[in-house]
Formats: sequence, C-alpha cells, structure tokens
Amino acid sequence: MHQPSLSSTLDSAVEAKLVSTASRSGRRSREAWEPYLYLLPAFIVFTIFVAVPVAGTVILSLTAWNGISWDTAEFIALENYTTAFRDDAFWSSLGNNLKLLPYFVILPAVLGLIPAVIVHQAKIRGAKIFQAGLFLPYIMPGVLIGVVWKWLLNPVFGPVNDLLERLGLPTRTWLGDFTWALPTVGLIGAWAAYGFCFVVFIAGLQKISTELYEAARLDGANGWQEFRAVSLPGLKREIAVVLSINLIGALRAFDVIRATTEGGPGFETRVLALYMIDVAFNANRAGYGSALAVLLAIVTLILSGIVLKLFGANDD
Amino acid sequence: MDRRRLIKQSGAVAAGAAIATHLPNVTVAAAAQDAATLQFWDTLNAEPRLTMIEELGTTFGEANGVTVEHRGWTLEELQDTLPRSVDSNQGPAVAQVNNGENLAGPMIRGGQLVDLTPYIAEYQWDTLLPPSLAARCSFSADGTVFGEGQLWGIPSESEIVGFYYNKTVFADNGLTIPTTFAELETLLQALVDAGITPIVFGNSERWPAIHLFGEIHGTLATAEYLDGIVYRREGATFDDPTMVEAATKLVEWKDNGFLIDGFEGLTADDAAALFQTGEGALMLQGSWQAPAVKTDLAENAGFFLMPPVEAGGKVLNVGGVAIPYSITTNAADPDLAAAFINNLVSQEAFDAWIEAGGLPAGVITPDKIVADTVDGDLYTAWNTALESDSLGHYLDWAAPGFYDELTGQLQNLLGGQMQPAEFATALQTFYASTFTV
Repeated sequence: MHQPSLSSTLDSAVEAKLVSTASRSGRRSREAWEPYLYLLPAFIVFTIFVAVPVAGTVILSLTAWNGISWDTAEFIALENYTTAFRDDAFWSSLGNNLKLLPYFVILPAVLGLIPAVIVHQAKIRGAKIFQAGLFLPYIMPGVLIGVVWKWLLNPVFGPVNDLLERLGLPTRTWLGDFTWALPTVGLIGAWAAYGFCFVVFIAGLQKISTELYEAARLDGANGWQEFRAVSLPGLKREIAVVLSINLIGALRAFDVIRATTEGGPGFETRVLALYMIDVAFNANRAGYGSALAVLLAIVTLILSGIVLKLFGANDD
Repeated sequence: MDRRRLIKQSGAVAAGAAIATHLPNVTVAAAAQDAATLQFWDTLNAEPRLTMIEELGTTFGEANGVTVEHRGWTLEELQDTLPRSVDSNQGPAVAQVNNGENLAGPMIRGGQLVDLTPYIAEYQWDTLLPPSLAARCSFSADGTVFGEGQLWGIPSESEIVGFYYNKTVFADNGLTIPTTFAELETLLQALVDAGITPIVFGNSERWPAIHLFGEIHGTLATAEYLDGIVYRREGATFDDPTMVEAATKLVEWKDNGFLIDGFEGLTADDAAALFQTGEGALMLQGSWQAPAVKTDLAENAGFFLMPPVEAGGKVLNVGGVAIPYSITTNAADPDLAAAFINNLVSQEAFDAWIEAGGLPAGVITPDKIVADTVDGDLYTAWNTALESDSLGHYLDWAAPGFYDELTGQLQNLLGGQMQPAEFATALQTFYASTFTV
C-alpha cells in the first residue's frame, strides 16, 4: 500500500484549507450581497416610480417649460420659486389647505377614536360588522365620495336639504355657498378619512395590556378615567401615525374637492394640489406647476415633522 | 420633392426621420404611424356620435385602402395626452386640437402640427366657413399670433349657445319669443311675477356662467373688441365698459330672481334634467343639448338666440366651431390625413352629424330643417348666425389658464364677493400677467 508522503499530506491539507477558506469566503461574499438582491425589485420599482419622478419634478421646477414640447424648456434656476412667493393664488390655495386641516386631520382622528374606544371597552355584539361598516368610507375612491355627497347635498333635489326642510330647519346650497362650501368639503373629507383612524386605533387599543384596565378598575376608575389614564397614553404612537397620515392626505387633498366644488365657489376651496394641476396642465406652465409640487412636498415634510416631534412617535 | 410628398412615398421610417428633425429625442423605430394605418383622436366618445364618427372613418378607410383607427377621449384627457404623445412620436395622424392658446398655439410652436394652407385650394376649405370662423383655426406660421396667418385645423361640428324654451309655459302665460333684450327682461320679470322659474341654470361646474355672461356681453360688445381679446391683440383689455355693464346685468338678473334658486350647487346636467322635466321656462345651453331636449320635451320645446339690444341689431352669440381637426407631425402621410379631414366636412359627414343630433360646421340645407321643432329652430338660428357672421367667442380662449380665472371670478361675482368693476379689473390683471410668463 502506498503511503502518502509528508509533503503530499501537507499539500492536501493546505489545499483543503484553501478550498474551505475559498468556500467560506464565497459564502461570506454571498451573504454580503444576498440581502441587496432581495431589495433589488423594490429598489427598481422605487427608482422608476418614486426617485426618478421626484428628481424629474425638482429639475422641471427649475425650468420654464410648457409641458408640451421639450424644445420650449428653458432653465431659469429658482425663478419659479420666487414667482410662487409673489403669487397670491399660491398663498390663498395654501391657506385653504391650512383651513381644511382641522377637518381633514383632527376631526377624523376624533371621529375614529370615539367608536374605537366604545367598541373596545363596551365589547359590543356584532362588533366586526360595526367595524367593517365604519371602515367602508375609507375604501371608497375619493371621486366617488365626492359625486355621492354632491348628489346628497344637491340644493334642489338632494335628500339632505329635503330632510332639513321636513324638520323645519334652514337649507343651504352647501357646496356653492361662500360661507359653507369649505366646512362642507371639510366634513366630507373627515367622513372619508375617519374609517382609517378607527382601524388604527382599534389595533392600538388591542395591544394595550388588559392588566392595566383591570388595575384601573380595581382603583375605582370609571370609563372616562380608564380612557384618559390607560387608553389615551397607550395610543400615543397610533395618534402620531394617524395625524401624520391625515396631514399628508390633507395637504395633497384633490379628488374629493375636484369632484364636489372644483375649487369653488370662486376660489374658496381651491387647494394647492388643485392649483398645481390647473397651472401645469390648463395654463401650460409645467415648470411652475413642478415648483408648486416641490413646495407642497416641503410644506408636507415640515408639518409632518412637527406632528411626529409633538407626539414623539420616535420614542421607544 | 416637397416634404409632404417625401413622407408619403417613404413610409413610416422616413416619416419618423422627417419628424425627428422637428422633434429631437424621438426614436424613429417607435413611430406609431405607418402608411397603411390612419389613427385619429377626438372627443367623440359617447353614442350616437361615437358610432357616427367611426362609420365615417371606416367608409373613408375602405375607399382609400387604409385602416382607420379612432379613439374617443374626454376633452381633458385629450388635451393632456395628445401633445405628449406627439412629442414622443406616439400620436395619431389626425386629432382634434383645441383652439387658441388652449392647445393649438403651444403645439404649433412645438412643431407638432402640419400647416393646412397648402390644402385649402385643393379642398375648397375657404368656402366652408366665414372668415371670422376660419380665423379661429388660424395661427401665424411660428404659432405666436392667433387668429391670422396659416390654417392649422378644420372643424367638422359647430356649436352655438341660446335659449331653449318650454312652449307650454310660454303659451300658458301669453309669452312670445322676445325680439329685443328689453323684451327678454320683461318676459323674465313676468315669469318671476307668475311664480315660474325664468332660467334654469346650474353653475357648480363653473363653465355654464361663461356662457351666460358671454351671451349678455355679446349683446354689448363688437366683433373687433372680442377678436382683440381672444387673439391677444395689442391694447386689448378686460377693463372695458362692456365688461362692467355685462357683469352688472348678470348680477341684476341674479338679484331679480331670473336664475333658479340654488344654481350655485346645480350642475349643467341637473339644470337640463330639471328643464327637460318641465321645470322653468328657459334654459341657456349649447346646441349640443338639443337631442336630449327633443327626446324629453318633443314638440313642446323650441330654441331662440339671445335677442339684440335693438330690434334687428347684432348679438355676438357664444359659440362657433367645435374643436378643429388638425394633422400632427406624426402623420406618415399628411396628404392622406388631409383627405381624411376633408371627408369629415363632406356633405355626407354633415348629414351624419345631423342624424346624430349634432350641428355641422357649415350651412344646413333647407331639406334638413323641420319647422316648429327644437332642432329646426336651432338649424335656422345657426344658418342666420353664419349668414350674419354673428358668432362671438368663448372668453376662456383669451389666455392659457384663463378658464380657471374666469370661472372663479364669475362665481365670485355671482356670489356677491366682488363688484362688477372689480371683476373686470381682476380679469384684466390675470390677462395681463399671461403676456409676461
């Protein structure tokens, strides 16, 4: 039998070591890039549908472009931004966005919180159906909500005025009245958004330890005190999430307003998104419209940051 | 060999190359058009017009050995899609291109439309429309001056705004068609006194007030003034006594109860539905509403134009040609596209328009006019307006984005948020700003 020589044994050992090292190195290298591979599809989608359009919008905002032919595009640096700051329509549209904040941000949160707490604390029979019903408006397209409410509020044959008349209450041209149009649109927006708030709050309440409620009850707390001392503090993160998402929704509000008032009467409900579309596509000022979009994004980031700061969503 | 001939003979690839000289960054291989297919886009997207236009297209295709493909959009979709499609060489050969600065001007300046002037003699398009209507399809060669110069589009349909009236209400109250503006106001007051809604009107979508205001203004303005505004001629201004007077009259009509209660929250369709089910005496609407009025009110409905200030005088009625058909620079064969457009203004096409309840863009022959019917009244009114060249403009053509400004300020005016003089000044401020941006 042939005995392997020492040198050949050593060679084999070194070879095996090298192979093993190479294999480990290969594994390590694979381990290193594998997570990126999983991220790749999302990264590609994000790049195509978010990063490139955002970058494109920022670049367009620095041009005077009519949105029709590239030949007409002209680089004008920050002129669109200075134009916006001098543009009364920009400020009035932004002002309308701000006027709608209580309706689009606070009101749906309150309207979602109340039934969430009731469902959670009262253990209502058939709660699931109740929950589904409350969530329903949120899954309806904004345009559809607008069309339906426009019909409901029709001043001549709408059921809302009909009901008010039967009850002997005053009627209004809700969506065409300079005093009432903005609050009415605001209430429609609140109705459309509260379902989402409700679901988030229900989920939040379910993760609060039942021991806390039992302890509160042992201490003699009533429903209101339970709510204040246990539910509300436990929902801090959910409140931050709801307010942030409502805020973003309020600032980019478009569909419900377009379908109900088209920004009228006059310019009473014209919000920035509506003005931006008018400018970019009706007035053929795509460069200026892009600048308005960038400004809207900046305002949204600032206000969302303030909300998250106030409600400490980043706290552990 | 001229450029059009070259394109015709060289097919799609050469067309792409020719277009590429105007449109940088386009891919020749991506050319949407080929010589065997003619695509056309317009705003005819609902029956019966959809079938009518597609049948016209099919007939033309069969006669010329090409496949004609039609796509009907909403106006807004077409406005947004067309220039971008043509810019990327994916557009149709023929498309409706909205007049003036709405779309025609920017597309001409972008090198996206074909000048139709060389085809005028061949197809006798100069006899089709009076000069004032042809001007609405004209632009200077560089696309900077509207209302003169080259011809860039030919309309197939026309439209005119006027009063539809309920004959029963008129007969029951001893009313007759007014021949002067003063008589109209007397009639409106009589209706108020009788407890009948004079004008059924809905303005929640904002555009109907342009028509109402435009009709009142059309009794006061001259053609030179309106042309000046819409063609953006030097010195044209909205700060004009006729604007203030018309605005004052509009507010007066509202305050006198001449307009239906709650009009601010009614759509044009709501108003039409109310009028067509017997509410009120009058409805100010465009010719496009005639088929629905006829269906619902039958012989009980009639149509008349806004009466002049003095009997026999002239009113510049809101209306004119519908959106003209133009040839885009994506067309593989512009000559074929021109022949196709000519087919849309043939007598056969006009008959098809009438059959579909539309108003063709030319004189309507007497055999199509049935007396004492709403469409008979409409056709007679249209022929009269054509003959007397008494068609005004849609004021929102005056500047890009002016539609939003005008409709918003009209709601402000009707809502008592501003005085007539402030209204005129606000419009002028916006109008002036469009010359500097």
